[in-house]
Amino acid sequence: MPKLLIADDDADLCALLQSYLGAEGFDVQVANDGDTALAVATAEAFDLLILDVMMPGKNGFEVLRQLRKRQLTPVLMLTARGDDNDSITGLELGADDYLAKPCNPQVLVARIRAVLRRAEPANTTAQEQAHLTVGDLALNRHNRTLLRDGELVTLTSTEFSVVDVLLRATGQVVSKDQLSREALGRELGRYDRALDMHISNLRHKLGALPSGGERILTVRGSGYQLVAG
Amino acid sequence: MFRQRLFWKLFISFWIALILFAVGVLYAASAYLDATRDRYDGASPRDRNDPVFNVAQTAADAGVDTLKAWAKHWDDTELVPVLVLDTQENDLLGREPSERALSRLAGALKNFNEDRNNGRPIHRPPVVLPDGQQYWLIPDFQGATLSRLISRPRVVATQLVLATLISAAICLVLAAYLTLPLRRLREAAGAYGSGDFSRRVAPTLGRRKDEIVDLAQSLDNMAERIDALIAAQRGLLRDVSHELRSPLARVQVAVGLARQRVGDQAENELARIDAEMDRLNELIGRIIDFSRLDAGLYVARHEALRLEQIVADVADDARLEADAKQCVIIANLPAVAPYVGDAALIASAVENVLRNALRHSPAGSEVELSLDSDALGYTVAVTDTGPGIPDEMLDKVFEPFFRVDDHRNPQGGIGLGLAIAKKAIVAHGGSIELKNRTLHNNDSGLKVSLHLPFIEQTT
Repeated sequence: MPKLLIADDDADLCALLQSYLGAEGFDVQVANDGDTALAVATAEAFDLLILDVMMPGKNGFEVLRQLRKRQLTPVLMLTARGDDNDSITGLELGADDYLAKPCNPQVLVARIRAVLRRAEPANTTAQEQAHLTVGDLALNRHNRTLLRDGELVTLTSTEFSVVDVLLRATGQVVSKDQLSREALGRELGRYDRALDMHISNLRHKLGALPSGGERILTVRGSGYQLVAG
Repeated sequence: MFRQRLFWKLFISFWIALILFAVGVLYAASAYLDATRDRYDGASPRDRNDPVFNVAQTAADAGVDTLKAWAKHWDDTELVPVLVLDTQENDLLGREPSERALSRLAGALKNFNEDRNNGRPIHRPPVVLPDGQQYWLIPDFQGATLSRLISRPRVVATQLVLATLISAAICLVLAAYLTLPLRRLREAAGAYGSGDFSRRVAPTLGRRKDEIVDLAQSLDNMAERIDALIAAQRGLLRDVSHELRSPLARVQVAVGLARQRVGDQAENELARIDAEMDRLNELIGRIIDFSRLDAGLYVARHEALRLEQIVADVADDARLEADAKQCVIIANLPAVAPYVGDAALIASAVENVLRNALRHSPAGSEVELSLDSDALGYTVAVTDTGPGIPDEMLDKVFEPFFRVDDHRNPQGGIGLGLAIAKKAIVAHGGSIELKNRTLHNNDSGLKVSLHLPFIEQTT
């Protein structure tokens, strides 16, 4: 049973979500402020954290920032609707996805499942190799690690999924729609910044090609393309 | 009473001005007359070389006609008439001498005859024609009338011009002193009228203390109060909207729980609750969007975007709504329309306008959506065949919560769509224009044009 931690200062909402998500097959724990959330998240292992941005004490961003120094547990941010900056800040700090609050609980469950699916080690089929090497990048689907020049690159599970999709299609343009479906497990929303932010984080973490060129190209109007080098 | 400084300023300055004017006129007139009299009656030695007398004598030397001409010229140009009298009291030019002039002549004759006999210096001799005929130059001060002055303006021209300029300068300063603060007040009132309540007048008036400053202070207080009230109202709206979201979030999860418990038994009702909550969420979201734009809290992005894609996406999204009314959206879009701006803002503007058009279109009609460009920028136009908007309300529809038809119909919005659209377009330095159309077959319709200028197109 996947273990979730919900951090939200609305205790009533947390209780409702706890029973709702419980019925959907999740083991849910609750924290009502940022400090508690951080303490619980570092003490125990969770499959997913759901962080509300607006919390007393440490807010969701602060919890995420401190958490990411230590671990890569998938994080879903709950942001105020229409506040683009919140979602961008969250994704920049390494959140895996975001959802505007208030939201339909069915949508929340779908998002949770999509994020969790990404975090699972791939049950590689015959066609899909467990290892994939492109230029100086070496991908291992079993333990979900990426090596660049033999050195481990620390990636969140979502970033791993994105780079996985791009590496498989090295040299080809992958449309944003396709990337969203395959890597994030959901349809691309309008003005969805999630993908752009994950790509931006990836560029930062992977650095430039040994030749000095851009590793992931933006093809305006169509999508992204990973260059072998 | 002494608070009424302006009153006293005006009272005293007018009073002093009038007194100064009267004293000045009297002084100038008497000085002039004194100076003229001295020229005729003065006993100082310089009178011997009196230029008037000398000129007259020179003229007389050439004969009676030249003397006449001199007398005529003098009469035409000088303020104080000088009679040219013979001993029989006849004027050379035939003017009627006044009593005073005659008595002055008698005095002159007596003075001339007696003083000469006494061997004392005479005041002034008569001018003498070559034939020996004597003429006495007798100034007629009483003849210096206003009508003479008016018909001989050159006499006082210099003084007049000087006086005009000086008084104009003084009046200019006075008028400016009085009206400058009034102009500031008017500008401030104008700014308040157009919704800018940040202007304050009193601090710009320096150390002045009078009724105008009192008025400015009152106006400032009023503006401050209105500003605070508006801010409070906006804040209230925003806060209430935010506060409404927490219970809404709880209700949504509670409905989810209910669905888990009862399954399909109450699916219709639960679906209805879901739909209504989505609508409520949407409305709250719009209020928050508007508040954020209105308060200037939203910082518009500058990103390279494809306008035609944004418009096409909005049109696609609205098709579902259009289909429900059997309406058709006809989009005329160019192949590429690159722009730099905020995609979400532009999309929300186009979406609000398009949804508005669909809402007011008759069933089965067409709504046109076009994107054109010119040298200045892009124009997104949405044209419907709905009832249009009464002309006198065209400006008001951009005010938040304003609705043309007051009865609340469930399909109607809450009157924020166009307000949001306008804010979003204005954030790009653009403008939004509404035009009622009259078609050949007496059909009506509304055309909404969103102008997006090419500015700051550097990224």
